[in-house]
Amino acid sequence: MRSVTTSTSHASRRARAGSRSRVTILRGAAGLLVVFLVAELISRSGIVSEVFLPPTSVVLLRVAELLINAEFLSAILATLQAWVIGLAICIAIAVALGVLLGSSGAAYSASRAVIEFLRPIPSVALIPLAILVLGNDVEMKIALIVFSTLWPVLFNTIYGMHDVDPIAKLTAMSFGRSRLSTLLFVSLPSAAPFIFTGIRIAASVALIVAVSAELLAGASDGLGRWMLDASATGNRPDLVYAATIIAGLLGLGINGVLVFIERRMLSWQPALRQTREGSA
Amino acid sequence: MSVTTTRTDLLTIEGLGHVYEGKQRHEAIGRLDFAVPEGAFVSIVGPSGCGKTTMLRCLSGLMSPTRGTVLLGGAPVIGVPRDLALVFQDYSRSLFPWRTVAGNIAFVLPRKQLSAAERKERIDESLDAVGLSAAADKYPWQLSGGMQQRVAIARALAYRPTILLMDEPFASVDAQTRAELEDLMLAVRQRFGMTILFVTHDIDESVYLADRVLVLSKSPSTIVASLEVNLPSPRDQVGTRELDDFVQLRSKIARMIRDQSTRRPSAPAIGDSESPS
Amino acid sequence: MTATDTSWGGVAQRPRRDFRRLREFAARWGALFALGVVWEIAARIADSIYFPPISRIMHRFVELWLSGPPNTLFLTEGVATDIVPSLTRMLGGWSIAVVLGVLLGVAIGRSRTLGDFVEPIIHFVRAIPPPALIPIFFILLGIGNEMRVSLIAFAVIWPVLLNTIDGVRSVETLHLDTGRVFEFDRRKVFFGIVLPSAAPKIFAGMRVSLSVALIVMVISEMVGRPDGIGSVILGAQRTFRMLDMWSGILLLGILGYVLNALLALVESRVTKWHRGAREGVS
Repeated sequence: MRSVTTSTSHASRRARAGSRSRVTILRGAAGLLVVFLVAELISRSGIVSEVFLPPTSVVLLRVAELLINAEFLSAILATLQAWVIGLAICIAIAVALGVLLGSSGAAYSASRAVIEFLRPIPSVALIPLAILVLGNDVEMKIALIVFSTLWPVLFNTIYGMHDVDPIAKLTAMSFGRSRLSTLLFVSLPSAAPFIFTGIRIAASVALIVAVSAELLAGASDGLGRWMLDASATGNRPDLVYAATIIAGLLGLGINGVLVFIERRMLSWQPALRQTREGSA
Repeated sequence: MSVTTTRTDLLTIEGLGHVYEGKQRHEAIGRLDFAVPEGAFVSIVGPSGCGKTTMLRCLSGLMSPTRGTVLLGGAPVIGVPRDLALVFQDYSRSLFPWRTVAGNIAFVLPRKQLSAAERKERIDESLDAVGLSAAADKYPWQLSGGMQQRVAIARALAYRPTILLMDEPFASVDAQTRAELEDLMLAVRQRFGMTILFVTHDIDESVYLADRVLVLSKSPSTIVASLEVNLPSPRDQVGTRELDDFVQLRSKIARMIRDQSTRRPSAPAIGDSESPS
Repeated sequence: MTATDTSWGGVAQRPRRDFRRLREFAARWGALFALGVVWEIAARIADSIYFPPISRIMHRFVELWLSGPPNTLFLTEGVATDIVPSLTRMLGGWSIAVVLGVLLGVAIGRSRTLGDFVEPIIHFVRAIPPPALIPIFFILLGIGNEMRVSLIAFAVIWPVLLNTIDGVRSVETLHLDTGRVFEFDRRKVFFGIVLPSAAPKIFAGMRVSLSVALIVMVISEMVGRPDGIGSVILGAQRTFRMLDMWSGILLLGILGYVLNALLALVESRVTKWHRGAREGVS
């Protein structure tokens, strides 16, 4: 079926998808605009005090100001630094461990209870412990990020390794490939989509944990710390709202980058083919 | 027992048997003795669930049988031998979706012995043999089922095995494609001079392709008959199938398989397989 | 045709299911026990004030919450002051999120137009890390229970909402057509076709939400008025009561495990057909 689609139907489908997506974008923009306008009106009319909900226009102005504010940007950078390092360590550990556990049934069933018990411990519950042992610096943030992001990557890796088609493995073996080679060139690529899903979850969890640690543990630097100061000492709701919007943009940006990488690297994957064909 | 005396036997199976242990003990293979001469095209045909896949697993060294020996070129098969390639029925699962057609073929080529140029030559040659030179940079999922199976065949050809094992390779494609692929196999055999062991449940196909047809019983499987096919070459999808010899042979095999299917599955005495034709 | 001889993959894994299950059970709990033993020995050797031996943590755990009089099922007063408020707000926030998430998700999933309008908003708000909202919730709702329950509900609604949208959108058109052929009314279409087909995905979202709810509950209890498990842990750390802190962490682990197991049980009951259908296919 896929290969039978003629070029004309392809082109018309693409054109239709194009106009469709334009409508979608317009409607989405309209939706956002309405929310902003309603918030602005509520605030200006005084239904809710400006102390609680500053006007949207003011908040947006603050967003623009913050984006060129050196102090704020260095706070964001501090958060992102912990995020990147934590995520990198997590991926290195979790993928290696997941491949190991996923390719051996005995190791898997032995480790399952341990994992199942450790995983639901909320990483934030360990913040007090982390403060005690590691202080309130970047090491503490990184340790918490690694602990909390380990699970999604580990689980998805194990699941992906279990999901590898036995025929694919047999094929490689029937062509004389060694166990290691089969693992690296068949099982790992085949599990890659699952691993990537885990990494995407881990990326957003890592951001949450980084901000939590800054907010709750009074870390010396970072977005959470900055927001804490703005809300507690400065009594500046406009800045708090602006920083929250920037935090959202940050989350969106991170997700966008990961989706982009995923489409690039895993374009062969069935679930992604539609999007690839659509955008090609 | 040897099938022909003039040619040397490439693959020899002696007293092969396999039992799956467990709660539901299942004897898949009773006793198999046969040989595949060098350069021959032997097809194996049998009723559904006759342990064909188990047999191929044992022959290719992916599994060790409970009893018996498999000799390839005189040496016992332990592990997967270099001289052997396997084409699976599930082409969609056996091709790697993350590699292009050329990448799929390149993956099975030994890295050390071949230079980049030689590898490229092998890929081009095998794709040319299956008529897919234009599809080298496509991904398997961009091709139709028949084309995917051609890629799987090309991959096996590029590996240059002395013997090619095929497990119901054309069972999942439509009739038209199947006829094309059958003729492709005959052409490929001519071009590369390979020994082929072809497992199928299609009686017509087994007769049309092979020099010799082995008929298997229901599991625990044994060989019911070993029939020589004396049809003129080159074979032709319409002409060959009209010949009296073809029609008689396929009727004979069909009758044997029907008898197998209707009979209660009782294990035939060992040695029954020694007495065909 | 494909059903004849497709045993390439699965043959070797058949034997002795019951025995295997027993062995697996033993291996799982054995491993957990082994971890405990390793912890105990390591902690005794290291003799660190931060990492007390597991036996002492468990002893303190029992002392704190399980040493009450028999007429309260041995639960202490600490259970009423620490655990019950935490669980109530967590389940409360989660329930609100589930109800709202499913309702909104069905509406958005059924109407393409509505989806177009609100999806950018959803994706933006969802991308804000929940703790970053604490200052705003402080401003709007104060430092008490309302803030906590709303924060939990707000943080955990997204998995339910997005999964419901996805589940509703991926209902088989053939099933909807069948409904049309037999002239189902809207209610029957909704309860008879849309909801059951979306159920597996909705449940998956609910499970993710529940584990997030536990996290947000702890976060919300570490700020504002001290009350609940989160503040027990934080308070214990501030006054260097290591055993209390570890007991709290242990308690959260147990709670997370039990809640997840309970929901998995409910899920397997409700969506039994789903697994059966899938196993039948593969």
